[in-house]
Amino acid sequence: MKMKKLVAAALAAAMALSLVACGGGNDQKPAQSNPSASGSQPAQSTPAPSGSATEITAWIYPVGGWTSEENVKPLIEQFTADTGIKVNLEWLAYADGDDKVNTAITAKKAPDLIMEGPERLVANWGAKGYMVDLSDMIDDTDRSEINAAALAACTSTDGKVYQYPMFITAHCMGINLDAFKAAGADQYLNLDNHTWTTEGFIKAVEALYAKKGDTVAAIYCKGQGGDQGTRALINNMYGGTFTNAEHTAYTWDDPNNIKALEQLKSMPGIAFDASLEGGDELKLMYQEILDMAFCWNIAQQLDPATAGTGAGKTMNGQEIVCMNFPSPDGTPVLQGGIWGLGIFNNGDQAKIDAAKQFVKYFCDSEHAADAAKISNFFSARSAAEGTDLSNIFADNAIMTDYNKVILPNLGDYYQITTGWAGARTEWWNMLQKVGKGEDIAASVAEHVANANAANAG
Amino acid sequence: MAKQSKQPMSRALQRRENIAGYLFMLPCLIFFIGFVVIPMIICILTSLTDTNMHDPGLIGGSFIGLDNFVRLWGDKDFLAALKNTFVIVIVSVPTVCAFSLWVSSAIYKMKGPVLSAFRCIFYLPVVTGSVAVTVVWAWMYNNYYGIFNYVLKGLGLIEGRINWLGDEKFALGCIILILFTTSVGQPIVLYVSALGNVDQTLIEAAQVDGATEMQVFWKVKWPQMMPTTLYILVITTINSFQCFALIQLLTKGGAGTDTVMYRIYWTAFKLTEQAGHFGYANAMGVVLAIFIGLLSAVQFKLAKEK
Repeated sequence: MKMKKLVAAALAAAMALSLVACGGGNDQKPAQSNPSASGSQPAQSTPAPSGSATEITAWIYPVGGWTSEENVKPLIEQFTADTGIKVNLEWLAYADGDDKVNTAITAKKAPDLIMEGPERLVANWGAKGYMVDLSDMIDDTDRSEINAAALAACTSTDGKVYQYPMFITAHCMGINLDAFKAAGADQYLNLDNHTWTTEGFIKAVEALYAKKGDTVAAIYCKGQGGDQGTRALINNMYGGTFTNAEHTAYTWDDPNNIKALEQLKSMPGIAFDASLEGGDELKLMYQEILDMAFCWNIAQQLDPATAGTGAGKTMNGQEIVCMNFPSPDGTPVLQGGIWGLGIFNNGDQAKIDAAKQFVKYFCDSEHAADAAKISNFFSARSAAEGTDLSNIFADNAIMTDYNKVILPNLGDYYQITTGWAGARTEWWNMLQKVGKGEDIAASVAEHVANANAANAG
Repeated sequence: MAKQSKQPMSRALQRRENIAGYLFMLPCLIFFIGFVVIPMIICILTSLTDTNMHDPGLIGGSFIGLDNFVRLWGDKDFLAALKNTFVIVIVSVPTVCAFSLWVSSAIYKMKGPVLSAFRCIFYLPVVTGSVAVTVVWAWMYNNYYGIFNYVLKGLGLIEGRINWLGDEKFALGCIILILFTTSVGQPIVLYVSALGNVDQTLIEAAQVDGATEMQVFWKVKWPQMMPTTLYILVITTINSFQCFALIQLLTKGGAGTDTVMYRIYWTAFKLTEQAGHFGYANAMGVVLAIFIGLLSAVQFKLAKEK
């Protein structure tokens, strides 16, 4: 009986403890207020707790070379040595990074710093009032040094800067030049300025298909991963647009895009493949299964499929060449990539200040050169505090070439249009329908309407 | 007198034993209440609101009555997901039960080590992590270098490649096949055990009376296995209704493979810009729970009648 009592008492104690454990965490009052209720940035007025500013958390999306801990760690250690601020880094994946951030916001556990692009930092979290306005960090000199288009994309419609731009690139496509040469399709390429016409692209696909009798390139549409490639291809082929110039509406139902989709659907060498995303597609080109990849950029050119087997080479050493997307007259408009740092407003002014120090250190000081260089993208500004950033890759022929023939074709950064996440979903769902053989114009109209409905809120 | 004095002592003993029993149950009960009952209540309450993931508190949105449920019946993406979910259940549940019954009948009389080997083989996909299983299946199904296309082309059965996971004609079937392989392990183990526990004297009596093998199986063994069958039916039905990981890892709901579970996840966490997803996603969860409850009740009822 005594034994039973002991066991019962132990169990009761365990239960009481687990109850305490389960119910914990509520004693810490969340600093954020409901943004919709206040209409202003949450918690800005909340007094900042002191004493924790020497440690901040930064979440990094897999952006170019910043995916590599080996690259990033020395810079962070140097930052800590210089400022005394410890940085806890965590890398996110695009597959579930948004889930993690959104869950963290809901749980009031958002990181202090985050590295990504304006479609998330400005159009999503910034617009909802979760980010700190960084406009006080940007003076007239900075404005003259930062790429104007990049800064505009990082600025909300009401003039708040929710992302400090760090580096930029233009997404392009990659082709297997050896396969092109073997099929006689290289005649359609202008390798001086890495451009080609839509007509040349169609003929090249025909030649490659005639040579191999199998899929030459894939319009991947399993999900949204790498969808900038399919958008750029379809928009460029006949001069279509994705949004209007004001970024207030989705316009991919324009006849030029429908014409491009009809053309692609009619080509036996092009497969609308709902089992692939951008990352899968570029690996298939690296493996020499496909001859083109629409999901490509300079980071891929420097290290195809992140395989570490040599810049601009497939797995068996065939030559990969970056190309602009084909357009009627060989003057493409490329999709941009703009990445930078944003600060979550967690209500702790000391941490916000420490995070701002981090932003200043890597975006607007002599250290900005290293930060941009390890990314394998181009700096978003020409100079920072007297350090020239316009020529940081002078020693790298591939980067220099890319800077000369691809980057100048950077187009409008329309990803900040309201309802962007929903629009991306509509895009790949539409491509799946087109691939299935459904009526193209009707599918396009339906999904653009859905995207615009989301845009309207 | 002796009888009267014994009665209260026995009650006290009973009470103490009851208390001890409840205390032993308490750990499970607390976790059950904390992680099943309370979330269930929150889910039902949230389904009646327009709660958004950014709303503060557990149920942060405004009460909108049954609006989410009304909206569901006009949402063709949800209805497509519901249809796919039912296809998975209707195909998967009977095939899993029939196959596991057939395999169990064939192996339950085998000697110890051989029986254990078969149990291991069929149970292996259950204990292997779903991600690992899915990665292997994804490789086999791959459109460009998968083994299925390689073998079928090698045998001359197909000319071009089949995009197993990218073509609506095949994708859902491929998912069901994987679900089947990961679902048969437990029913086989349970059926082997149930067949081993069938009363031998009844079987012998039936055989003495001239019953055939089939008659012995259906008239003697099958009724005795009914509780096991009912458990297998219910568990397989629930698992099939809740098919999520395979969809998430293989198709992301594309190529006609969207299921209600995946749509709940998508609605709650992926469409981050649209308001009201937690409430709407929870309404889907409530509808799914109602369907699972109804189907399980029907299965219980039918098994009871048998």
